[in-house]
Amino acid sequence: MKRLRAVWKVVRGLMAELADERAYGRYLEARGERATGAGWRKFSEARMRAKYERPRCC
Amino acid sequence: MKRVAGRLVWAAAAIVAACGFGAIAMARGEPVNSVWIVLAAVGSYALGYRFYGSFLAAKVVALDARRATPAERLRDGHDFEPTNKWILFGHHFAAIAGPGPLVGPTLAAQFGYLPGTLWIIFGAVLGGAVQDFVILFCSLRRDGKSLGQMAREETGKVGGFIAMVTVLIIMIILLAVVGLVVVNALKGSPWGAFTIAATIPIAVFMGLYLRYVRPGRVLECSAIGFGLVVAALAGGRVVAQSAEWAPWFTYGGLALCGALIVYGFLASALPVWLLLAPRDYLSTFVKLGVVVLLAAGVVGLRPQMEMPALTRFVDGTGPVFAGKIFPFCFITIACGAVSGFHALISSGTTPKMMARETHALAVGYGSMLLESLVAIMALVAAGSLAPGVYFAVNAPAGAVGATAEAAARTISGWGYPVTAAGMAELARTAGEATLFNRTGGAPSLALGMARIFSGVLGGPRVMAFWYHFAIMFEALFILTIIDAGTRVGRFMLQDLLGHVWEPMGRASWKPGMIGTSAAVVAGWGWFLYQGVIDPLGGINALWPLFGIANQLLAALALSVGTTVLVKMHGAKYAWVTAGPLAWLAAVTFTAGAEKIFSSDPHIGFLAQARVLEQTGTAAGQIFNARLDAAVCAVLMVLVAAVLAVSVRLWAGLLWRPEARVLREAPFELSRLEAEEL
Repeated sequence: MKRLRAVWKVVRGLMAELADERAYGRYLEARGERATGAGWRKFSEARMRAKYERPRCC
Repeated sequence: MKRVAGRLVWAAAAIVAACGFGAIAMARGEPVNSVWIVLAAVGSYALGYRFYGSFLAAKVVALDARRATPAERLRDGHDFEPTNKWILFGHHFAAIAGPGPLVGPTLAAQFGYLPGTLWIIFGAVLGGAVQDFVILFCSLRRDGKSLGQMAREETGKVGGFIAMVTVLIIMIILLAVVGLVVVNALKGSPWGAFTIAATIPIAVFMGLYLRYVRPGRVLECSAIGFGLVVAALAGGRVVAQSAEWAPWFTYGGLALCGALIVYGFLASALPVWLLLAPRDYLSTFVKLGVVVLLAAGVVGLRPQMEMPALTRFVDGTGPVFAGKIFPFCFITIACGAVSGFHALISSGTTPKMMARETHALAVGYGSMLLESLVAIMALVAAGSLAPGVYFAVNAPAGAVGATAEAAARTISGWGYPVTAAGMAELARTAGEATLFNRTGGAPSLALGMARIFSGVLGGPRVMAFWYHFAIMFEALFILTIIDAGTRVGRFMLQDLLGHVWEPMGRASWKPGMIGTSAAVVAGWGWFLYQGVIDPLGGINALWPLFGIANQLLAALALSVGTTVLVKMHGAKYAWVTAGPLAWLAAVTFTAGAEKIFSSDPHIGFLAQARVLEQTGTAAGQIFNARLDAAVCAVLMVLVAAVLAVSVRLWAGLLWRPEARVLREAPFELSRLEAEEL
């Protein structure tokens, strides 16, 4: 059961990482801010700008 | 006791691999069960990871768990952030796994399942995973620098310039070839066209939802998006069966080509949050889900390989693409065995998120082995189709005949029986009007996947649903690659042109932005158009070009890796990367030379241009054949330049040990706590 919980934690963490939710959490933590619509828009614009300047794999 | 148990486990892995290969080798003329192929692959990966990977980690690059990584030293809570090893593994895998490992093995199945299987397994263990791992290590020790930056620093300006030009050429050919895969998958398919068209408003809805309704709730939004896509899939069936609606969503190749070009331009110019990002989130989750589902399906169903180990087309006369096993099998399957593109990911986000140096083995080497397993699954899906069906779907009309009867006759004449009536029944089961001449690999892969999925879930009654689910999955993330790739190509072109005229380098300058977007779209759009009008199906010309370009990038990455290894140990371990590099150089040069100079018009572009000239074909097609030859020649010159610069550099480094200056960041002791790992 403990092992299953650990696996689920990794899967949940991976999904949140792929969804940029963890990165948003880190962004808020680093700035001591709370989640807001304006905060997300600012964060996601910067993140997406960087993300879509890098080549994608085939 | 623990040591004995460990030895027993690895002995068991060796036995599993040996049994897999043994069963494949002994099945002379008999169909082999796919489970043996999977066992051979998994056993080889386990042994490769445990012994060769560990050797690379411990002896060749000497990973140091005490050394602080860029993620720790340069931590900014944004790009540089220490991340759990397994989360980073999944993140890296999701970034390297595109359509390549699915489409390449499907196309290479025309040689039979054996050449592709062996190349995928041994290419990954000894080449692809080594490249990904060594480049990841190099970037880790150099503050997370990119391949281009490292090439410039380690091999000089020529290496950096070649990296940039090659990536741009690959992007353009990649976008054209994956665009062609989508066009051929959706041609004459109202069900598929409706579903894919519906993903555009769904993505826009997701973008608006994420920005204004529930900001930051990406997982929730993706779950809603997935539900809507499944609903669109069900709606597609209704549309396809409606006499009134079906014509609205039934398009030929040229119409789809035009739509894709317009879409690519708009998507690259629209705000990222509106279409590109939400579609990207959705396609990432769908991609991972389908890979897991495919693996579970193959293990659950254990389909028989209907394709023989070797087909008659090992002689180079294949209808899917022309050319012999060497070199064409090795450029057709790039992703899944060795892919230069991975070096860009290994020197991109991943090194900036790695908490411990020692995680590089699992993330760099291990992820590539997993991608290789995905390629094996794709090969199993394609190889589980009856060979006659496989060739009926993948062979262009120009090779087998334009009518169903003519195509069935030609293919049966090759020794792979198929009938027009049988194909019509299969098309009906898959919910399509016809499955003949659906080149590009996607439809045959979708058929194989649908057979596996429906074998496990729902039975033959839901075959049409699973076929279109697989098409939706392939098209969804190919479209993401097209819009993201066009955008990336635009930035790269702006960067290059900025050196000539400064305003062009400014990303925010609108005329530059529109001009470069149009140039990139025109570039891949031209190759896509020529693929669509090509009587041989387009894949025959475009996929080898893409493979050569991809392996050129791998040659560059392996050159950088060899340079670093020579600086670290002299000649002692240079063979680790120089071996795969020598192989890829041989493959790329042979393939390039054949594609340009072969007197067989099915292979050589110049011979094809001559034949077209003699038959009075339109000047455009003659120009296209010569353009392909020119692109191929440019790629070969770039490979030669990479090799010349690298060999000269290595000779100097071996001759003068004092010149071996490593450009690593200074050692700093890691202070990360266990819970941060």
